[in-house]
Amino acid sequence: MTSAFLELDVRPTLRNGGEPFQEIMQAIASLVPGQGLKLYATFKPVPLFSVLKSKGFSNEARELDNGDWEVLFLPTEGAAHTAPAAAPAADSAAWPAPMQELDNRDLDPPEPMVRTLAATEAMQQGEVLCALLCREPVFLLPELAKRGHAWRGAFEPDGTTYKILIRIGAADREAA
Amino acid sequence: MIGASLSRWSMAYFAAALIALFAAEIMMTAGFGFPGATVAAPETLILVHVVAIGWLSLLMCGALLQFVPVLVVQPLYSDTLALPALVLLVSGLAALVLGFLQLGGYIGTSFPFLAAASVLLGCGFALIIWNLGRTLAAAPKLPLPARFVTVGLVCVAATVTLGIIFALVLGGTVNATSLLVLTGIGRPIHATAGLGGWLTFTAMGVSYRLLAMFMLAPDLERPTTRAALLIGTIALAVAIAGGVIAALTHGNPAIALLAAFIGGVLALALYGADVRHLYRARKRKNIELNSRMTAFAFASLAASVVLIAVLLGLGQLEEHIGAVVFLVAFGWLSGLGLAQLYKIVAFLTWLECYGPILGKAPTPRVQDLVVEPRAVKWFRLYLLAVWAGEIVLLAGLPLLFRVATAAMFVATIGIAGEILRTRRLHNVAAASRLPAGAQLPRLLISSHA
Repeated sequence: MTSAFLELDVRPTLRNGGEPFQEIMQAIASLVPGQGLKLYATFKPVPLFSVLKSKGFSNEARELDNGDWEVLFLPTEGAAHTAPAAAPAADSAAWPAPMQELDNRDLDPPEPMVRTLAATEAMQQGEVLCALLCREPVFLLPELAKRGHAWRGAFEPDGTTYKILIRIGAADREAA
Repeated sequence: MIGASLSRWSMAYFAAALIALFAAEIMMTAGFGFPGATVAAPETLILVHVVAIGWLSLLMCGALLQFVPVLVVQPLYSDTLALPALVLLVSGLAALVLGFLQLGGYIGTSFPFLAAASVLLGCGFALIIWNLGRTLAAAPKLPLPARFVTVGLVCVAATVTLGIIFALVLGGTVNATSLLVLTGIGRPIHATAGLGGWLTFTAMGVSYRLLAMFMLAPDLERPTTRAALLIGTIALAVAIAGGVIAALTHGNPAIALLAAFIGGVLALALYGADVRHLYRARKRKNIELNSRMTAFAFASLAASVVLIAVLLGLGQLEEHIGAVVFLVAFGWLSGLGLAQLYKIVAFLTWLECYGPILGKAPTPRVQDLVVEPRAVKWFRLYLLAVWAGEIVLLAGLPLLFRVATAAMFVATIGIAGEILRTRRLHNVAAASRLPAGAQLPRLLISSHA
């Protein structure tokens, strides 16, 4: 039996100057249907609200006595199963660290798509590619699906960089 | 969300649209309709609707079937519905032309062509609105460009509804007094809803995204963008709803249209500021032909607004309304449409042909599918011809206007020829044209494979 909330405390990461977005998204991906996320942060994570809203979570933020924040992300009704659709790879197992990172943000379209697909072709089954883009890659995603790769993607909290993780040949495993 | 794929029938829409454009240019060159005939003459009505429905609306529908899914990152609701919609729209336009010929006494049969056109065009546009509306409705949140498109779809519904009423009244199918009155004075509302609401407002929305995409500029969600959407929407509501209410209550729709014009100017000024910002904030310094030519279309839009204001001031708007519509339709909407079509066809053809083998084999770049130095000559000729045509139209020189439209015809044949070469991959060096695994796309149907 799982509890109603998975707890995640990103305060240590933040205090060390780290970027907890990845951690949060992985926690979100590991939720079972109907489960929510209880997040502790050193500030009110406003940019996260819209990101998670688009994934089907409402939020309740509360300031703690010491100035930290506790935010409850609750799956909105009916969204529990559609939420992970933004990133079809919604497995609970963590992905290995990216083997390769691409910064495609300043390339003329469709160069980001060309470079990303070229990189995936050179990688081995199960490896992960990380690519930074300047917008949601609408034409890349169907091509990844066709080639049997799994992906997780979202805008970074800055709202301008779209980060996508692609796991080679993992689509079947994810679906299972 | 699995992104957007290729719209199967958009190329067929584009081809049908270009044929209608040629037809309209031939009519103008032959002296058929305005300025040889009056603005309300059946010949002019044929010309106007071949341009508005045949060329501009089919172009817009083809583009929206491809780009609404991109705007909202959702698949198109139905690829299948796009084909019957195209057939209905084309046959509806044919029936409408026949109906106008009937009104002009060119054909003697008593077949109710205008009623048939009402049914066909009504169903055709309804399918388009349904298909795009369901696609928009599936998005969890509508980005601003998609909201412009949503307002545009409401406006096309209003335009078509008014058009159906006019067609049924003119065809003698209905004769309720209120509808007779509306038909008598409602044409400026119909034209504003169509050219301003449907075509211009939708083009504004799509251009926000396309310009940002092709110039590597940040997507805009500025306060000016929101204000342009809000004020533009209010202006259109005043023009359409206010105009119709005024007409039905024996008031004067001109007051509603004038109020809407002031709002419209404000919305367009905000849009102009946004577009300027996009061009300035772009990361890509050497912009491609489509973005350069689009700038001239924006200049035509600005010139149209100034022209309307000046003519209003001089009290000559009614006298020169044909010249205003000509500049809006051919300088602004067609200028933008042709420039973007040139890029869209190259991009979609590239994606269809080389997308499946990207990374697996060396592939040409999108720019290898086009030869800009050759195409730019046709675009320059087109723009010069349109502006020359506008000047001689205002100066009341109908013969010179026909020379200008002949030059427009030659230029658009040239542009269409370039687009055809792009679609057939003729500009790609033979050795790299079709790497193993790539297939030459079909001319009119795009495949998902």
